[in-house]
Amino acid sequence: MAVTRSLRRNNTITYVLAGGLCLFFLYFFFGDTTSIPQLPAYAAGAARHVLKSKDAAPNELSPPSLPFRKPAKLAEGERAAPPPVVHYHMNNVTITSDPVGNRESILILTPLARFYDEYWDNLVKLSFPHDLISLGFIIPKGREGNLATQQLQARIEKTQAPTNKNRFASITILRQDEEPTILQDEKDRHALSAQKERRAAMSRARNALLFTTLGPTTSWVLWLDSDIIETPPSLIQDLASHDKPLIVPNCFQRYHNKDKDAMDVRPYDFNSWVDSPTAKELAGKMGPEEIILEGYAEMATYRSLMAYMADQHGDARTEVDLDGVGGTALLVKAYVHRDGAMFPPFPFYHLIETEGFARMAARLGWKATGLPNYFVYHYNE
Amino acid sequence: MFFFPSIRPTAIAPALSLGLFSGVNEAMQIETVRYYDLSNVGGTARGWEREERILLCAPLRDAAPHLPMFFSHLRNLTYPHHLIDLAFLVGDSKDNTIELLSDLLAKLQAQEDTRQAFGEISVIEKDFGQTVNQDVESRHGFAAQASRRKSMAQARNWLLSAALRPTHSWVYWRDVDVETAPFTILEDLMRHNKDIIVPNVWRPLPDWLGGEQPYDLNSWQESETALALADTLDEDAVIVEGYAEYATWRPHLAYLRDPYGDPDMEMEIDGVGGVSILAKAKVFRSGVHFPAFSFEKHAETEGFGKMAKRMGFSVVGLPHYTIWHLYEPSVDDIRHMEEMEQERKAREKEENAKREREEKINVQFDMEGKDQWEKDMAAVKDAKKSAEDAKKETKKEEKSSDDEKKTSDDAEKKSSGNDEKSSVGRNAVSGEKAGADEGSPDGGRDANKATFADELYRVRSHTDTTPRTSNNEADPDDAMITKEPPRTPGFSESSGQQVENDDAARGHAGVASKAAAMSAERDELKLDEFERDMKAPGPGKEEDDAGL
Repeated sequence: MAVTRSLRRNNTITYVLAGGLCLFFLYFFFGDTTSIPQLPAYAAGAARHVLKSKDAAPNELSPPSLPFRKPAKLAEGERAAPPPVVHYHMNNVTITSDPVGNRESILILTPLARFYDEYWDNLVKLSFPHDLISLGFIIPKGREGNLATQQLQARIEKTQAPTNKNRFASITILRQDEEPTILQDEKDRHALSAQKERRAAMSRARNALLFTTLGPTTSWVLWLDSDIIETPPSLIQDLASHDKPLIVPNCFQRYHNKDKDAMDVRPYDFNSWVDSPTAKELAGKMGPEEIILEGYAEMATYRSLMAYMADQHGDARTEVDLDGVGGTALLVKAYVHRDGAMFPPFPFYHLIETEGFARMAARLGWKATGLPNYFVYHYNE
Repeated sequence: MFFFPSIRPTAIAPALSLGLFSGVNEAMQIETVRYYDLSNVGGTARGWEREERILLCAPLRDAAPHLPMFFSHLRNLTYPHHLIDLAFLVGDSKDNTIELLSDLLAKLQAQEDTRQAFGEISVIEKDFGQTVNQDVESRHGFAAQASRRKSMAQARNWLLSAALRPTHSWVYWRDVDVETAPFTILEDLMRHNKDIIVPNVWRPLPDWLGGEQPYDLNSWQESETALALADTLDEDAVIVEGYAEYATWRPHLAYLRDPYGDPDMEMEIDGVGGVSILAKAKVFRSGVHFPAFSFEKHAETEGFGKMAKRMGFSVVGLPHYTIWHLYEPSVDDIRHMEEMEQERKAREKEENAKREREEKINVQFDMEGKDQWEKDMAAVKDAKKSAEDAKKETKKEEKSSDDEKKTSDDAEKKSSGNDEKSSVGRNAVSGEKAGADEGSPDGGRDANKATFADELYRVRSHTDTTPRTSNNEADPDDAMITKEPPRTPGFSESSGQQVENDDAARGHAGVASKAAAMSAERDELKLDEFERDMKAPGPGKEEDDAGL
C-alpha cells in the first residue's frame, strides 16, 4: 500500500500505469481468440474446421506433420472437450516445381542409428522455409539408440525453442524395439545373407516412419540418411524444380586421398542404377526368396551405376532415368507413397528396400530419375 | 494477475507482453515435438483394458443413403469411444455425402455425454477423377473389376497413409453399407489376437431369392488351381473371385458358414474381403497396404491379404461369426420385382372386379337370399320349439329344401357368379353354426341338433368349400411368419451377438412355423369334426324318420 501511495503523487506514472492497465483489460476481454492467428476459424464457431498446410492442430490427436496447441490445464475432475471434426482438402495439396512459392510442406524422414552434429548443422542450414518442414526420426531402442536420442533431443531443444523464429514446423521421434539382429561384425555386415536381413529391418523402419508421420497436408517426402552431412542449402528447391515423382542426387564421400595428399571425393551409394539384361537374366533364374544386391563380386549384374556417371564439372541439372534408387537422399512426391509405394521388406522382383521401392513405384506408374552431377556427401567413418 | 496465473492462461501471456512479443508467446503455446514409443502400440488381445487406440477407416463415395445407418452402428460400438479415431475419405461423390457426413459427425462429437465422443476425427476430401461407375451393375461386372479394384485400393491407401498415427495399435476397416453387426465386433475380433482378422459377410435376400446369401467372396484360402492359373497370366492381370472367367476352386470363408457353428472358430485365409477388417497397426506400419497394382495377380484387399502373408503376418477368417451386408437389388432383381408388382396389381384388379360383380349380384339377389334365410331361421326356431312336432317340421323342411333347390337352380341359370354369391352369403352362417355346434358333445344324437345339422349339411352341399375358405382366411398370417427369412426378426433390430440373434431368429421362426402347422392341424380337426357332425345326423334323422 505504501508503494501505491507514494506513486500516487507522481501523476505521469500513475496515468501511464492506468493506461497500461486499461489496455490490458481491453486485451484481456477482446484479445483472447484473435491473438492466435494460426488457429483457424473453428474456435470462433465456424461450421467446418479445415486444416491447411502448416496450421497448428487444435489437439495432440492430429497428424504428426503439424504442430499442435498445448492442452489447457484442466481443473480436477474436468474433462477435456472432445477433439473437433477436422477436414482436410487433399485436392488442394499441390505438388509443383515451385514448392516455396506455393507453400508446399515437406516431410524429411531419417532412420537414425548414430547422431552426427554435422547432419543437424546441415539440416538447419537448408534454405527451404523451416515452417514448411516437418522432421521425422525413427531410432531403435538400445544403448546406441538411447545415446543418439539424447544427442538429437539436445539439439532439438535449442532449435525448437519458442524464441527461435526459424524453428521447424514439427518434429516426431519414434522409438522401436531393436529387431533381433544377426551378429553385426563389420566384416559380417556386408555379407550377402546378413545384408538381406539388415535391409529388411531397415525397410520396416522406413515404412513405420513413413506411414505414421505422413500427414494429409504433406506434399513432398525427403528421405535423408543420418550420415548425410553435406548438401547444398537449396537441396529441396533444386530437386523439386525437376518436378519428378522420385528424384535422387548422387551420393559421394569426401576422404583424404593419400596419393594426392589432398581431400578428394569418391562414390558412396551404389543403389541407384539402370537395369541391365544380365541382371534381368539373373533375376529370371532366381528362387522367389533370393535377392540381387549391388557391389558383390559373386553377383556381377553389369548394371549402369549412377555413381560412375558423375562428372564433377558437368551440368548439375543432367537427368538420367533409373530403375533402382538409393535412399541416402531421395525426394519423393507424397502421392507416390500414398498410392502405396513403400520399401518392401521382402524380395519384390528380387529387390529389397529402396531398390524395391523404385520397382514398386514403377509398377504404380511412377518412374525414378537420377541427377548424376548433383552431389550430396556421406560421413566418412 | 500474477496471483492468478491459472485463470486464463491463454489470455495472460499475450496480455503481459502487450503484443510486443506476441510471436514468441504464440510459439510458447504451440508444441512442435512429439515422442512416441512404438513398442507400446503392438496390439494385444485385450486392447480396451490397455487403452489401445483404434483407427476406424471408411472410404466413402456417394454413400449418403447409408450414412445414418452407419452412424447408428458407430454409436452402438461398445469399445471405449474415446479410443476410436475416425477417418473418412470422401471422393468423387455426386450426392451430398460430405455435407451429411459433416453434420452427423458434428452431432456425434457434440453429444452431452462426453464419454460418448470419439477421438480424432478426420474427413479427407480427395477426388481421384475415377470414371468407374458406382452403380451395382457396373460395379460387379467382370470387365470393370480389375480397374475398379485398383482405384478402390488407391483410395484406401490414401486414407490410411493420411490417417495412421504413431498412437494407433489397431486399424479397423469398415464399409458403410453393413446392415447388421454385433456392437461388440471390435472386442470380438480383437480377442483372437491375430494380425489380420475378418468375420464372415452375408447378406439377406427377399424370399423369392432364397432368404440369404454369402456376400463377400474375397476371403478365401489359396488353392493349387489358382496358383497354377496365376502363373499363366501376365504381369498386370488381376484374379477376381466370384466370376466364371476364373475358376479357382478356392475354399471361401463365406460358403463355410454354419449358423449354429462356433463363432470363435478360426480359419487361415490368404485373400481377405474389405467389408470389415481388423488389423494390428503394425501390419500397416511395416508396409503392408492395398496394392493398386497386380501383386501376385491380386489387387486391393485380396492383394492386401497376400502381401501380409508374404511378410509373415497371420491372416484369419471367422467362418461362423457373421455380419450382414445391406441388400441392394440388382437390375435383374429390380426387373423381377417390377414383374411381381405388376402381377400383384393384376391380381388385385381381378379381385376388385370380382368383388364388384359379387356386390352387384348381392344387390340384385339380396331379397331372394333374405327370404331363404328367414325361412331357414323359422325352420330352426320351429325345430327348437318342439321336438314332438317332428312331422310338421319335416314337412316344412321339405318345403324349404324345395325352395332352396329352386333358388339355386334359378341362380345357376342366371349367372355362374350367383352360386358363388349364395355360397359366400352362407359361409358366415355355416361358420357360426359350426362354431356353436362345436361346443356340444354328442350333438348328432339330439333330435334338435340333428335337424340343425342336417340343415347345415344341405347348405354345405352347395358350398362344400366352406370350412376351407375359413381355413384359408386364417392361413395368410401364419404363412407370412413361416415364409419370412429366418433371420429377419432378430436382425432388423441389428442388436447383440449376431450368432445368438440368428439362433433366436431361427428358434422364433421354428416356433412360428410349428404354430402355423398346429393351427392348420386344428382347422383340419375342426373340419373332421364338422364333417362327422354333418354325417352323423344323416342316419340319425333317418332313424328319426324310421321311428316315426
